[in-house]
Amino acid sequence: MSETKNPLGLTSIPSVSSEGLVPVGRRTSLRSYLAALWGRRHFIVAESRAKMSSSTRKNLLGYGWLFLNPLLSVLAFWFIFGFILQTSRGIQNFLGFLVIGVFFFGYTNRCMSGGTGAIRAGASMIKGFQFPRAALPISIVVRNFLDFIPTLLVMVIVLAVVPPLEVVTWRVFLIVPIVILQTLFNVGLACSLARLGHKIPDLTNFVAIAGRFWLYGSGVFFSIEGRLSGHPALLEAMQYNPMHAYLTLARDCLLYGADSDPKMWIVGTVWAFGLLLVGFLYFWRGEENYGRL
Amino acid sequence: MADSELQEPNIIAENVQVRYTVNTNDPGSRATGIRRLTNKIVGRQGQTTVRALRGVNFVAREGEMVGIVGANGSGKSTFLRNVSGVEQPDRGRILVRYQPLLLGVSAALQPALSGSENVRLGCLAMGLSPEEATEAFDYVVELSALGSAIHRPMGTYSSGMGARLRFAIALAARPKILLIDEALSTGDATFAERSERAMDELLAEAGTVLLVNHAAKVIQELCTRAVWMHRGEILMNGPAEAVAEKYRWWAWNVAKGKEDIADKLLADVVSNAVKEEINILEPELIKNPIPRHAARPSKKKAAPARHVKRQDTVDEVEETPTPMLAAAEEQVWPKSFDAEMPKAKFPSLPKPASQAVSAPRITDSPPLRLNPSKKRVVLRAANPSDRASSVAAADDFTGRRLASRARQIADERYEERQRLRQEDDSPVVHQDSNR
Repeated sequence: MSETKNPLGLTSIPSVSSEGLVPVGRRTSLRSYLAALWGRRHFIVAESRAKMSSSTRKNLLGYGWLFLNPLLSVLAFWFIFGFILQTSRGIQNFLGFLVIGVFFFGYTNRCMSGGTGAIRAGASMIKGFQFPRAALPISIVVRNFLDFIPTLLVMVIVLAVVPPLEVVTWRVFLIVPIVILQTLFNVGLACSLARLGHKIPDLTNFVAIAGRFWLYGSGVFFSIEGRLSGHPALLEAMQYNPMHAYLTLARDCLLYGADSDPKMWIVGTVWAFGLLLVGFLYFWRGEENYGRL
Repeated sequence: MADSELQEPNIIAENVQVRYTVNTNDPGSRATGIRRLTNKIVGRQGQTTVRALRGVNFVAREGEMVGIVGANGSGKSTFLRNVSGVEQPDRGRILVRYQPLLLGVSAALQPALSGSENVRLGCLAMGLSPEEATEAFDYVVELSALGSAIHRPMGTYSSGMGARLRFAIALAARPKILLIDEALSTGDATFAERSERAMDELLAEAGTVLLVNHAAKVIQELCTRAVWMHRGEILMNGPAEAVAEKYRWWAWNVAKGKEDIADKLLADVVSNAVKEEINILEPELIKNPIPRHAARPSKKKAAPARHVKRQDTVDEVEETPTPMLAAAEEQVWPKSFDAEMPKAKFPSLPKPASQAVSAPRITDSPPLRLNPSKKRVVLRAANPSDRASSVAAADDFTGRRLASRARQIADERYEERQRLRQEDDSPVVHQDSNR
């Protein structure tokens, strides 16, 4: 591509047609982005399972730990709260209350911390090949979901077998929509935190502390209604806490066999779909930046 | 370069500039005042801006294998990362015909899993569907030549075996544009033969390969063209033999500590270097791009040539043989220079399926895809002798593949390369031919 001088002394520059060529690595329209993401669904699942199995394969018991781990946690809670402290804090079936709170909250909490570091953890993949980056936070949620399924099974079985028996009604099946709502909420949370965490790496430290506040604010160890009855304004605000809604719904259907307050359902649904939409759009808008670390 | 300009471009890089802001503990660039105090508190020492690419203009065409040589830190890898779309350049833009594939599948692989599980995972990561991954499995095993080692955990592989597996997985995705960053140097002779063959097939399918390698010999043997990058700029661009030879001579002198000779050589090359510029002709298709900000005007964009500025559709131009061009020539340039003029090639060949390329799916899987159930990938003209369309109709993966026409073309290319290795004085494409 050398220069050619024409009689007027002007340099002519070689021309190439850009017909049929497209800019590389640009953010695509939302529709094709979603389509590409859907095309990668097999990879997301395969990658989550591969990560899971490569982490369990090192252990002698392998997949057994997926069930043993929650079982041992329940045992620990029973030993401390039921056997040594013998506390119930005025809550019916306190062990079940606690177990549901800890496991359901742990699911979201792990998605939160995992999502914050998702871009950083997937840096080598981002530099390696081209794919919709939203696959990273989503695969974090998928991995935690796959971890959560055996936990949920263990929890339901333990609650059904261990002495302070739960009231089993048809409402047990409501746990399925509850888990779905919570998972959607987690996807939105992971996506929005992934972009924030990429912008501000220091957020990882903050998220750990915020998670602890959230833990106490969601009534994992105690009933918010009981504790905050002196502060009606605070209690009212707490009602809109999504985790509190999910925990209340899960406890009502698994433990007490009671109908939940419809307000809880509304709060849970609005949070799930709202954060999913906002978080995903927010993540998608930053698509081009994630390659720079 | 008249010969290669007949080919359609696959990659166009226009004035690509990249700079990184990085931490440094160089005392010279220490901050002052308040800045210094805050740096002290957070434990930082100062920041500096590195210009990794300083305005790279580059075109790679169909069927070209371009070698990139240059010292460490000259911006080769950064350029490949930008071409692959992993990073966005700070200035300038990069246009591609197909999604380039950086040989970086290793990021998706898990050392604890066996080779065969990793083949599946890697194929899915490259965007294949599960069925396609199953089909491609035999091909990967054959190309990587791992034998029974494919069932052992990947963590137990030697570095050469790992590199072979990664290369085979990347090729199983059937990329049209492959970017290789010093990956092939670890394979043994058998694998070198197979990988060359695989890349020849890719080139025969109107693909493009960019190869970064320090061994000038590899570049000379494999590539049709070479580019010498130095401090983020392209110093030389020409036939592989010449460029690699000069680079090798320079690198040898630097290595031997003969700085004065090396500097003289470099000064000579720099003085001869032509700052390349490209005039990108924009068809209407690109003016209406899918990502709505894709047409973000780059600041130093060259104005489109006068005679194509107002061209509306491709078809119109094909029927009337560019009357405006003829008029312009008669006004400004004497007729005797007609042959020398760079031909305004733009509306040469309407590509029937080019809408599919500029349809809003850049991040979609690479176009050539062996999925007999849904033939969604015929991007180029449905010419029966064209490999892309003939393969899309094939039923089984490896059988047809071996019998395919691309195999023949690859053979021809291979023989030609052998012939070229013997007789040195036959330049394939020569950039300075008309200077």
